[in-house]
Amino acid sequence: MIPEWMKEVDVGPCSCSAVYHGKKGFVGKTIDGIFSFLQEAFVSETYAKRDGLLQSLDPRAKLISILAVIFATSMVGDLYLLIIVYLATLLFAYLSKVDVLFFIKRVWLFIPIFAGIIALPMVFNIFFPGDPLILLAYLGPGAHIGPVSLPDSIFITKQGVNLAVIFTMRVATCVSSVVLLFITTPQQVLFKSLRSVGVPKIYVLTLEMAYRYIFLLMDMVREMYTAKKARTIKSRSMFDEQKWVGGRMGYTLIRSIDMSEKVHMAMMSRGFNGDVKVMQQFNMQHRDYVAVAAAISLSLLLVLIAHDFIRV
Amino acid sequence: MNDILVNGEAMHIPDGYLGPYTYIALWIIMIPIWYYAGRKLSSELKSRQVPLLALAAAFSFVIMMFNVPIPGGSTGHAVGAAIIGIVLGPWAAVIAISVALVLQALMFGDGGITAIAANCFNMAVVMPFVAYYAYKLISGSTEITSSRRVIAAAIAGYISLAIAAGFTGFEFGIQPILHHTAEGVPLYMPYSLGVTVPAMLLEHVFGFSILEALITALIFAYVQRTDTTLLYGEKSAAQKKKMKTASTA
Repeated sequence: MIPEWMKEVDVGPCSCSAVYHGKKGFVGKTIDGIFSFLQEAFVSETYAKRDGLLQSLDPRAKLISILAVIFATSMVGDLYLLIIVYLATLLFAYLSKVDVLFFIKRVWLFIPIFAGIIALPMVFNIFFPGDPLILLAYLGPGAHIGPVSLPDSIFITKQGVNLAVIFTMRVATCVSSVVLLFITTPQQVLFKSLRSVGVPKIYVLTLEMAYRYIFLLMDMVREMYTAKKARTIKSRSMFDEQKWVGGRMGYTLIRSIDMSEKVHMAMMSRGFNGDVKVMQQFNMQHRDYVAVAAAISLSLLLVLIAHDFIRV
Repeated sequence: MNDILVNGEAMHIPDGYLGPYTYIALWIIMIPIWYYAGRKLSSELKSRQVPLLALAAAFSFVIMMFNVPIPGGSTGHAVGAAIIGIVLGPWAAVIAISVALVLQALMFGDGGITAIAANCFNMAVVMPFVAYYAYKLISGSTEITSSRRVIAAAIAGYISLAIAAGFTGFEFGIQPILHHTAEGVPLYMPYSLGVTVPAMLLEHVFGFSILEALITALIFAYVQRTDTTLLYGEKSAAQKKKMKTASTA
């Protein structure tokens, strides 16, 4: 029997970080990146263990529902619909006892990089003509940069802004749904539920194992960089440093192939014969069917509206 | 995570960039490729398949964590698909990198769900295949330890990423042709082929591809110094030689 106190989970997100003095070089950045990776994984795990709405659904029902919504959202071109779906993901995050602010931050942190570069130029009339909203500069006729001729004046267009906002919102809504799926489902259960969308058993097992070994390899990489940091007094030339990184990558590659050999032998000695068996103890209940039906009908509705079969 | 995603971001297509025609077409292309790769590997690797591919996938994931110093005081990281293609062979790379990409999409929303097939096509099929065959072609029948093979690995890394970027640019560029409203307003990636392909190519040809070439060569040189039996296709050649000497003796 496992004593009660061992089953307790710390529900608060933890924070771990390394302390630096001075400028962070490539070594510091790597160590930091690995820490934030581990932190993300731990935080997701604490949310996945809370007893919220989405956590209580059958993982297969949840996977299919969220995938349906994502595919449908990718076809929607109407801003209001996108906002409604996005707000729905926030509502579900709230009902699943996920810190909504954390959730919003986690989603939007990536949006500026993802969509910003693409969406920003859309708002000017250089790429797409449209009705002026804000005039930025009057260049006069015949203005050009090198061989590219520019219009008489540069302004932000109404259509451009609309386009950029729809584009960004669509990306945000999709990312929001995926993040919601990931942080409300324990990983091992999430991978198993992929069986229900036709992923073969052998890949489900590969995914599960890959996920576990990522942590082992990450830790190995962190140790290499920490060891380097500890031994470094004076930084060397850039090529020497690059050579060091290349060598460590090669070492990690050799270690992982070598490890796979040992893991294979360990599996064989425990009776593995190449035939993959995935343990499944999922149990669909009425509410899971209701959830799938609701999500699929919502997605169908979105698709139909997007293709103008239903007008709103 | 923010830091490490910046450079790989150009290659990971999020949801909402590609319209349904494009991503569905890429799913239709990818499913038989995955199926064939799976069949081929399970007959080649037998029970070793799962552990080898799982560790290789974990490596493909982790390779992005390694920050490399680049000129200008900044840091970058490699995609890593070229070296995986060269070391494991292109078919094993297809599965290993695909698994890593699925994990990235599920865990961080790094690369979209609808675009999984597109991302896998660019980074798990185009890149390792181009890299593997470029490497094979250039290295020819040289000694396994020859420096020509290091150069071959560098060139393989360079052109494989540039070509993959070109494919990505092409997928972006056909969006305004395929998807627009009746008034001609684009619904997805709004820029035409004339913008996206040169943008993706320039960014990679003068930037990321150089880093990919350097890293591919450095990793290859390390493997070459340490354990050449790991390289795909080389082990069997060594065994053949052994068998030959055994039969003549």
